[in-house]
Amino acid sequence: MKHTEVPTCQPRLKVLNREQTFEIHQAALDILQQTGFKMEHKGVMKMLSDAGCTVLNGNRVKMPAKLVEEALSSAPKQFDLYDQQGNIAMELANGNQFYGTGSDTTFTIDLETGERRRSKLKDVGHFAQLVDGLDHMDFAMSMSNPDDAPVNAIYVHAFAEMVKNTSKPLVFIADSGSDIAKIYRIACLVAGGEKELQQKPFLLNYSEAISPLNFPENVMEKLLFCAKNKIPICLPSGSNAGGGAPITLAGAMALGIAENLVGLVVHQLAGKGSPFLFGPNVSTLDMRSTIVSYGCPEWSLTQAALADMRDELYGLPIWAYAGSSDAKVMDAQAGAEAMFSIITAMLARANIIHDVGFLEYGNTSSLEMVTMANELVAMSRFFCQGIPVNEETLALAALERVVNGESGSIFLMDDHTFENFMQAQFLPRLLDRSRYDSWTDAGAQDLYQRCNIEARRILAEHHTEPKSDKVLEEIKQILQED
Amino acid sequence: MSEFIALSAAVIKGDVKTALEETQKALDAGNKTQNILDNGLIAAMNEVGDRFSRGLLFVPQMLRSAKVMQECTRLLEPFFQEENVSTKGKVLIGTVKGDLHDIGKNLVSMMLEGAGFTIVDLGVDVPPEKFVEKTKEIKPDIVALSALLSTTMPAMPRTIEALQKAGLREAVKIIIGGAPVTEKYSIEIKADAYGSDAGAAVIKAKTLLGTE
Repeated sequence: MKHTEVPTCQPRLKVLNREQTFEIHQAALDILQQTGFKMEHKGVMKMLSDAGCTVLNGNRVKMPAKLVEEALSSAPKQFDLYDQQGNIAMELANGNQFYGTGSDTTFTIDLETGERRRSKLKDVGHFAQLVDGLDHMDFAMSMSNPDDAPVNAIYVHAFAEMVKNTSKPLVFIADSGSDIAKIYRIACLVAGGEKELQQKPFLLNYSEAISPLNFPENVMEKLLFCAKNKIPICLPSGSNAGGGAPITLAGAMALGIAENLVGLVVHQLAGKGSPFLFGPNVSTLDMRSTIVSYGCPEWSLTQAALADMRDELYGLPIWAYAGSSDAKVMDAQAGAEAMFSIITAMLARANIIHDVGFLEYGNTSSLEMVTMANELVAMSRFFCQGIPVNEETLALAALERVVNGESGSIFLMDDHTFENFMQAQFLPRLLDRSRYDSWTDAGAQDLYQRCNIEARRILAEHHTEPKSDKVLEEIKQILQED
Repeated sequence: MSEFIALSAAVIKGDVKTALEETQKALDAGNKTQNILDNGLIAAMNEVGDRFSRGLLFVPQMLRSAKVMQECTRLLEPFFQEENVSTKGKVLIGTVKGDLHDIGKNLVSMMLEGAGFTIVDLGVDVPPEKFVEKTKEIKPDIVALSALLSTTMPAMPRTIEALQKAGLREAVKIIIGGAPVTEKYSIEIKADAYGSDAGAAVIKAKTLLGTE
C-alpha cells in the first residue's frame, strides 16, 4: 500500500478553555471601567479624555470597553521584523517563535574569571556578538546595564554597542522621549533613512509601566514616539503575582492585560495601525525573598494562558520570557529552569521570547547561559516539529532491505539512514553524549565548562558583518552630543 | 516576654483580635507601656523575624504580624508621651526623585515598623529638597532612600549632597537600597549603609543606631 503524506501534528500546549479566556478579558475590562488607572502624562490624558474616557481627580482615568475593542481591531494582527541588512528575520504571526536575550542586568559573570561583577558596556557588545553567532538566537537585547556609560545616555550607548556587534533584529530599552529620539536616529542611519526604517523595521522597543495601574510620563513619551514613528513596541507592566498584582494568577493576568490594553489604546490613538506587541509579564514574587522569579512555573503558565487568549480573542503577536533562572551560577537548577521555560514557551507558541541567559532572577547575565540555552532551544525546536508521517519516514523499504536483503545489512549502512539522519535526529553539540573514556580524555568537562569554551570560541572567531565607516562615524557623533 | 505569652503568640500568629484584647488586658493590669511594647510586641516581632530568617515563615505572614503589632501600638500610643516611651528610632523614607516605584520601599517601611522603628514615609518621586525639609522638621535618626532604576539612582547622591549642604548630613544615618543599588555604590556615594533586601535593611538600621 502507498503511504501518502498526512498533516503533521505540532505539539501544542493549551492551558485555558474558551470560557476562562472570556472571564479574564472581562475582568480586565472591569478593571479599566471601574477601578481605572493613574495617567501621569498630560497630553495622553487629554487624548484619552477626548476619546471618551472619564477623568477623575486630575490623573485617574476610567476607560470604556468600546475604546479597547477599537484599538484591538486597528492594531496589526501580524508584522515583520527585519535584520539590519533589510532581510525578513522574524515574521510575527500565528505561533512563530523567536528567542533572544534580555536587558539591564546589574551584574555579569565574567567569561575569563568566572566572577560576578558589575556589567560594562563591552559586555553589551559581547552578548550581541554571541547572539549574532548563535543559530537559535533570533534577536539581541542589551543584557547589561553598563555602569561605564554616561547615566543620562546609558541606553543610547547600549544601542550603539549592539548595532556594532550584531546584524540581527534588536529589542531596545530607552529612558524617555529624548534618548529614544537619539536611538531612532542611529537606527535610521543603519537602515539608510527614515523611510527605509519604517518599511523594514529591525527594532522593537520594550518599555514598562508600573503595576498596579500607573503610567509614568517618561514611559508614555516612549509609547507616543513609537506609535508616531511606527516602531514596534511592547509595553508590559510589573504585574507579578503578589508584588505588582494580586497573588492569584487569574487576577494578576487580568491586571496585566488591563495595563497592556491601556498601552494599546493610547498607542492606537496616537498612531492608528502602528505595530504593538501584546503581553504582560506575569511572573510571581517569591514569598520568602521577595525577588521576582525568573525560573518559576507560574510565569510559563501565564504566558501559555496568554497565548490561548491571543488565539481566542486578541490576535496580536505576544511577548514572553524563557531560558533564565533564579540560580546564582549556571548549575543544575539553571539548566532545569531554563529548559522548563524554553520548552513551555515554545509549546505555547509565544512569539517573541526574551530574557534568555539570565541568572539570579534577572540580576546577572551569563554568556555561558545564553550558549547553553541556544542548544536547549534547538532541542525544543526539534521536539515541537512533531513526527512527520509519510512514505519516506515510515521507511518500509529500508526495513525490507535490512531484514530481507543481503546478509549483514544494518540500518547504519543503509542509504535511507545516510539521507535522513540529519533531519530525523537532534544532533547536540554541547549536551554531552560521548562515551565515558572519551569524556575523561577530553578533560571531564561539565556543561558549564563546555559552554564557557564555546562562548569564548564564538567571541574569538565569529565575524559580525561590520557597519560602514560612514555609519560608524555618524553614530560616534551622536554619542558625543551633550 | 513570659508575662505577655498570649499577646506574643497572637502577634506571631497574626491574630489581630486576640492581640488587641491582650494589649488592652495588659494595660488594664497596670503594665508600663514601654514594658508591653518591648517585651510583648517587639519581642514577638523578633521571634517572627527569627522564624522568617530560618525559612519557617513567609513574607505575608511576617507582614500580617507587623500589621497586628501596628494596631496594638496604636492602643499604646496615647500613653507614650506621659510615660516617656522610646522607640528604636525614627526613619524618614522615600523613593528618590524621578522614580515612581514603591513596592520595595513600602515593604522596608513595614518591616522597620515591625522591628520597632517609627516611620515617616514621603512616598515616591521625592525631590532632595523635600528630604531636607522633612529632616529639619522631624529630626529622624535614619534617612532611607529607595530607587528601582539605574537612571534614577543618581538622585541618591544628589539627595545626600542636599542634606550635606543643609548641614544635616552628620545628624542622620543614610541607608540606601533598590534593585540596581550595590554595596559598592553605597560606599561611592558616601551613604552609611546598603540594604540588599528588606530584612537586611532592618538589620543595618539597627546596627547603624547601635541598638543591636
